[in-house]
Amino acid sequence: MSNKSCFQLSAINLLMRGVAIVMLLGIGFVATAAENEKPQWVPGQPYPPELLDQYPCHSYELECGQLPPPPIEKVEFNEELNGDPDRGEKIAINLRWGNCIACHKLPGHETGSGTVGPSLVDYAERSLPYSYTFQRIWDPRVVNPDAHMPVFGPNRILTKNDIVDVMTFLYATK
Amino acid sequence: MRSYRILVCLLVCSLVQVTSSMAAEMTTKHEYMPGREKAIPHVSGDKEFSNTYQYWKDPESLKKAVDDGLMSHEMNFKDFRWMEKSMEGDMVLEEGLAYFNQENESGKSCASCHGEDGAELKGVYATFPKYNKRVNRVLTGPSQIEVCAKERLQRDDWGPDTRPNSLIAFYVASLADGATINVDTSSEPMAAAYERGRDLYFKRVGQFHYACSSCHTPPTAGNYLRGQRPTTFFGDAAQYPIYHFPYQLAGDDYSYVFTMQHQIRSCQQLSRMYQGKEGSASMTDIEVFIRASSNGYPMSIPVAEYNMNTDYLERNIDQ
Ligand code: HEC
Ligand code: HEC
Repeated sequence: MSNKSCFQLSAINLLMRGVAIVMLLGIGFVATAAENEKPQWVPGQPYPPELLDQYPCHSYELECGQLPPPPIEKVEFNEELNGDPDRGEKIAINLRWGNCIACHKLPGHETGSGTVGPSLVDYAERSLPYSYTFQRIWDPRVVNPDAHMPVFGPNRILTKNDIVDVMTFLYATK
Repeated sequence: MRSYRILVCLLVCSLVQVTSSMAAEMTTKHEYMPGREKAIPHVSGDKEFSNTYQYWKDPESLKKAVDDGLMSHEMNFKDFRWMEKSMEGDMVLEEGLAYFNQENESGKSCASCHGEDGAELKGVYATFPKYNKRVNRVLTGPSQIEVCAKERLQRDDWGPDTRPNSLIAFYVASLADGATINVDTSSEPMAAAYERGRDLYFKRVGQFHYACSSCHTPPTAGNYLRGQRPTTFFGDAAQYPIYHFPYQLAGDDYSYVFTMQHQIRSCQQLSRMYQGKEGSASMTDIEVFIRASSNGYPMSIPVAEYNMNTDYLERNIDQ
């Protein structure tokens, strides 16, 4: 078993070297051009359906049907909160971005929001540590294995910056 | 020198193996939302999920609950999903009937085999999906229509995601209005299809890493997802196909009729899951699971997915 994976490792090694050489020769341009033709998700815009087979799916025939779940990501956060609260608010209420409002009441958005998760209107007053909140948003499975929130971090729905902005918005006192 | 490299390689390999098996252990646990084992192929199974069944188990209970002033989310949103028939939907049924009676070049139509206006198909839709021995496959209503159209009418372009198919499905389902849903999952291959469909329904997939059950079990079911109102998976199949104005599935024209297959795709799209192909094996299994979860509930066709009454949004729901 380990012999076999040794072989795989060195094969990958060889392959990487091959790729490096190809890139040096400039053939890499072709690959990059092809890469660019794939649509890219622009936050705030509809997610291009053709990109979704990179995640696990329901199909029996397609490869995505066999993909494992994204590994759980435990993250640290020991920084100051100095993001952009206005941008954070935008992210939190945009249907095609953070969309926190689908489930939570948010500061300044008490009506029209969802009721699935706890209200976050007075979140600042609850003095929960930043590290907890960051982890909750990045990958809620660390806090609750059966969480109903999306895995914003592991599947790159929100970047670290985005989350810091959303947190700055949540912790800002009105 | 050579043995040294092998040693390093072995070391690295075992490390890689340890970490990857750890990852596998950590993740596979979370591949499914909890609750699969509680699901049963009968509408009363809702008791294990939402504690609302007593309010909507039959028309009398529902009427009483409404009269008693219960709010929509306390009735699992069944009040408007199920009680009121849709006039607009009724008009669309005429279009379905026209396709049903539409003759091909040799003068044959669905009616040639199934009687004038589908006289022979009363109640049949309440038993779909169903195993078809001849084609050796479990077929949803739309897949059965596709097979009939292709084989008997030489119509190759009446597949499950086409307008004629959806409208015929809507019409044929309306012939089962009032019939009790009875999807037989007691023997193979339907029993296995139900179990596979149930697993898929609770499997986490897509960019959000949601399962269907993420939204269709509490706390999401019974709450408001922004303005939307997801319910548990019990009972609702009784109204499908459904009149879905003003929403259409992107890129298609169904005259606003959603079959169950369209609804599954629509939810997949909404929650950033890769959309299945209508009538494919996995999509059929999901439909078997959902429809069997309505066993024992009467069909109600045509109804509308969206009522225009949005009072519920104005009320303040504190939890
Ligand atoms: C689909 C529903 C959903 C979405 C979308 C969602 N959440 Fe949540 N959230 C929940 C639920 C449900 C809980 C309660 C605990 C649990 O089930 O994980 C929760 C808990 C939380 C908590 C912890 C509250 C506490 O009292 O400890 C925070 C903070 C939070 N969410 C922030 C966010 C932010 C920020 C976003 C958007 C970027 C977001 N949520 C999007 C459903 C959601
Ligand atoms: C992000 C939330 C979400 C997820 C995940 C989700 N749905 Fe839904 N679903 C809804 C909402 C909300 C409705 C109610 C209709 C509406 O308002 O659009 C609904 C409606 C339905 C209905 C119609 C019956 C009813 O409850 O009104 C079916 C059937 C259904 N979904 C099946 C599925 C299946 C199958 C999956 C997985 C492939 C799935 N859903 C995943 C939110 C979701």
